[in-house]
Amino acid sequence: MKLTVHWLKEFVSFRGSPQKIAEALTMAGLEVESLVPLPAEGEGGNDWLIEISVTPNRGDCLGILGVAREIAALTGEHFRLPPTSPHAGDPTLKQVIDVKVMHPRLCPRYSARVVQSVRVAPSPSWMQSRLEACAIRSINNVVDVTNWVMLETGQPLHAFDLARLTSKRIVVRRAGAIKKFVTLDGIERQLAPEDLLICDGDAPTALAGIMGGEDSEVRTDTQSVLLESAHFDPLTIRRTAKRLGLHSEASHRFERGVDPEGTLYALDRAVFLLEKMAGGIPLKGVVDRRARQKGTKPILLRTEKVKGLLGIGLSPKETERILKSLGMKIQGRTKAGLKVMPPSFRRDLTREIDLIEELARLHSYDRIPSTLPLVQPGGGKVDAPLRWERKIRSFMVGEGLSEMVNLPFASSDMNRRFCGIWQGQRSPVAILNPLVQGDAEMRLSLIPGLAGNLGAHIAQKARGFRAFDLGKVFSLDPKGVPEERECLAGIIFGRRERKGLRVMEEPPLTLLDVKGLVEGILELAGVEQSTVWTIPDVPSCLHPGKAASLQFVDGSRMGYVGELHPDLCEELGLPSALIFELDIEGLVQYAPRQLTVRSLPRFPSVERDLSIVLEDGFPAQQIVSWIKEQFNHSLIEDVHVFDQYKGAPVPEGKKSLAYTISYRAKDRTLTDAEVNSLHRDLISRIGEVFGAQLRE
Amino acid sequence: MQESLETLREEILDRVAHCGSEPELDHLRVEYLGRKGRITLLLRGLREIPAEERPQAGEQLNRLRQLVEEQLEARLAELKAREKERILREERVDITLPGSRWERGQIHPLTLVMDEIIDVFLGMGFEIARGPDIEDDYHNFEALNMPKDHPARDMQDTFFVSQERVLRTHTSPVQIRVMESRKPPLQIIAPGAVYRHDDDATHSPMFHQVEGFMVDGHISFADLKGVLTHFIRRIFRAEIKVRFRPSFFPFTEPSAEIDIECMLCGGKGIPKDQQVCRVCRGSGWLEILGAGMIDPQVFRFVGYDPEKVSGFAFGMGVERIAMLKFGIEDIRLFFQNDIRFLRQFACL
Ligand SMILES: [Zn+2]
Repeated sequence: MKLTVHWLKEFVSFRGSPQKIAEALTMAGLEVESLVPLPAEGEGGNDWLIEISVTPNRGDCLGILGVAREIAALTGEHFRLPPTSPHAGDPTLKQVIDVKVMHPRLCPRYSARVVQSVRVAPSPSWMQSRLEACAIRSINNVVDVTNWVMLETGQPLHAFDLARLTSKRIVVRRAGAIKKFVTLDGIERQLAPEDLLICDGDAPTALAGIMGGEDSEVRTDTQSVLLESAHFDPLTIRRTAKRLGLHSEASHRFERGVDPEGTLYALDRAVFLLEKMAGGIPLKGVVDRRARQKGTKPILLRTEKVKGLLGIGLSPKETERILKSLGMKIQGRTKAGLKVMPPSFRRDLTREIDLIEELARLHSYDRIPSTLPLVQPGGGKVDAPLRWERKIRSFMVGEGLSEMVNLPFASSDMNRRFCGIWQGQRSPVAILNPLVQGDAEMRLSLIPGLAGNLGAHIAQKARGFRAFDLGKVFSLDPKGVPEERECLAGIIFGRRERKGLRVMEEPPLTLLDVKGLVEGILELAGVEQSTVWTIPDVPSCLHPGKAASLQFVDGSRMGYVGELHPDLCEELGLPSALIFELDIEGLVQYAPRQLTVRSLPRFPSVERDLSIVLEDGFPAQQIVSWIKEQFNHSLIEDVHVFDQYKGAPVPEGKKSLAYTISYRAKDRTLTDAEVNSLHRDLISRIGEVFGAQLRE
Repeated sequence: MQESLETLREEILDRVAHCGSEPELDHLRVEYLGRKGRITLLLRGLREIPAEERPQAGEQLNRLRQLVEEQLEARLAELKAREKERILREERVDITLPGSRWERGQIHPLTLVMDEIIDVFLGMGFEIARGPDIEDDYHNFEALNMPKDHPARDMQDTFFVSQERVLRTHTSPVQIRVMESRKPPLQIIAPGAVYRHDDDATHSPMFHQVEGFMVDGHISFADLKGVLTHFIRRIFRAEIKVRFRPSFFPFTEPSAEIDIECMLCGGKGIPKDQQVCRVCRGSGWLEILGAGMIDPQVFRFVGYDPEKVSGFAFGMGVERIAMLKFGIEDIRLFFQNDIRFLRQFACL
């Protein structure tokens, strides 16, 4: 809402600079977005343009009079209405025009007056410049007067060329079977049956409360004008305006609620200006079709409620002062409080709480004290999900991965390539009105975002890139209901950078590095023992030989690791990077709730290595599992692989694997002889079972 | 004999004193005290001197041997100490060379700021709640007093997933979800991503909010002021100026917007050089929070009796707070994730 300081001062006098007034308005809830000086206008010094951001509840301040009333209430200054040309009873108007409202609920009030013998011409320059400052294009004196009065009162008016209303019968009705209408901007509008029209007999002549029609518009040859000042149902106006994408000054105001008692005042004000600006001769009479109304009841404002909600009691004197300054009537005083009747232009005041807000606002929020409430016990704790997030982030960062926050939108192409933890079992969530046509879905996986981050860094000649994203992925469950899952994904490429002198070049990262990251997560979730790596059905975005899926022992899928498929890298212009993605939300559900600490062993362990030559494709873990599960000797504490070797002297197609076995007894120090005999036994059994050559 | 021993003693002491290295010292030890050393030979020769002179000569020789041993030991210790000193003097590392360590990763600044916000509220005894990003119309709008076709819906440009489901436009629906399932007293914060159909230097289609609310028997607007003033002072600085001004949200009444004094111009708006401050656009104030007393209608939606409970709610944009704290002018920097940008937050 734009207005000028001079215009405002016509209705309320105030001392102090425009800045002071802007400040006062802002602090009363009418936020001043800008205050700029206007070019000199002559008398009265420079004028200022104020732009106020009017919240949707304050339709009354979409007129300068409303803002002036607010200033009067804030400053205690006198508020005055501008002059009008009052209507009077005159039955002859019926012969000039008749009005029929078919749907009183959609048009609770329709008022109109007629001005004859107008001379349509350009408006005087002061009127034009003020309108234009307020972002209204000047058309001619008649149209300008309707806009002028709308700016003043907030009541939209419409001027029809009476001569062009051939039937002399205004009908306010739904569009029904009428399908099309040409608005005065020359555009043909497709109507819906529920749209509200102003018709001249059967012919539509205006889209009620939104825009007039081309046919009945005021032109230079217009002589008699019918001024419409009506009240329409906000929802009906809003639906039509929204559907047609036709947002006008009038519809904006009707949507936010116009004072139903204000139609006649606005008419009389416009008639006054038409007399002055266009030399018009008004007919005294007025049409005023009005729906029967429910009587409004006063609102009970309880002193205790005010005090309880604001945390400060207001004296009865202060309370009444504020209410009256806002135009409210005190209809009764009881022990509990006041019976208050708000003015008709404040359609937002219908409940006790609305009045309490007005008291707080006018008393000033600054004068309400600050207190700290008593907080109930039970809160104040970092809860489990946040604790997990923080643990995971600090682990990832320690491993040299940086956190990315990516927008969760994806193209359907990317969702097809990277289907994330659901591995193609789910379809993506589509967005009906995407910002970018290409990104019309919610991501199924965090990987496309990370791949994009990698690409952006490669474009800047980065030699390595290590990043993770801890965020939600989205899919439709089998019933078509969106499901969200908190996931962790990472991408690593190049070598891990070491700061300082380059003593030796770090080896390039491999699949085992990315697997190591996942193992680290499993360790910090305490679930290493309950997961298994599987080779079948790894996602198709991965290199088939360098990928694995992670499952829980109960079979549920937890994620995957792998190297991006070379074809995919080529298509996307990416280097071969290693990725992982984990269903963190699922994973932490398996985390042990309680930690039990074991006492430390009292006797030393003895370690023995063994090395074995096997087929190249043999999974190293099998030996570990066999020793633990089949051989299963109470003195064997731990087994792990520590080396894999291919090449001479190991024959082609074979590899050498090396394991460390830890032996320990709970109750004594093992002797060399004891361990040697057990180790020899183990070696010969492995030789038998796996048919392999062994070396000690 | 007497005299020659004296000469020998002088000779040995002189040679030991001038000996410059451990091998040289070992050499001297062999020369005098070794199996064929001169003192050893002299001791062996005792047998040949007359019996009555033997005890005295023996004593003199033994004293000499003892003295030589002591001198050799002392000289050895001295040489070792000198050698150690030399090594310490000579072994040097150029401390101007770079230290060596693995490159660390960096936590995203939005996470850091979010954590800071969360921790202030945890410190005040709030607890954390979460809700879905894809929200139904009822929780995102309807139950927050924004019926269909309400102009307040224009304030939030919405992404639609279906007729009835949207990407939540604020974290306020978490309020509804918590109140639907629990009874007061409640003091909750709800951090999370939110979505608006918007994209420019100050708006991102996805950004983050922290919603908070407190409901109990007698929570007042004064409590709202107290809690949020405390929060702002913890997040920015203790002496920052804060103002509460009336505003409108469909789900709170009275509603407030909370401003802090502009950090660039120090609240002056138009500093002395007459250039309008580009951060606060001349007002001297920066909007930081929206808040208000929970509307009775919202309480009715969740089945609370507004005559028995009251409460406040607030919401803030994490990106906005981060931008103001660190003087970032383009919100898109957060989502470009450039390592060079992220690394600047290492010391935070
Ligand atoms: Zn500033």
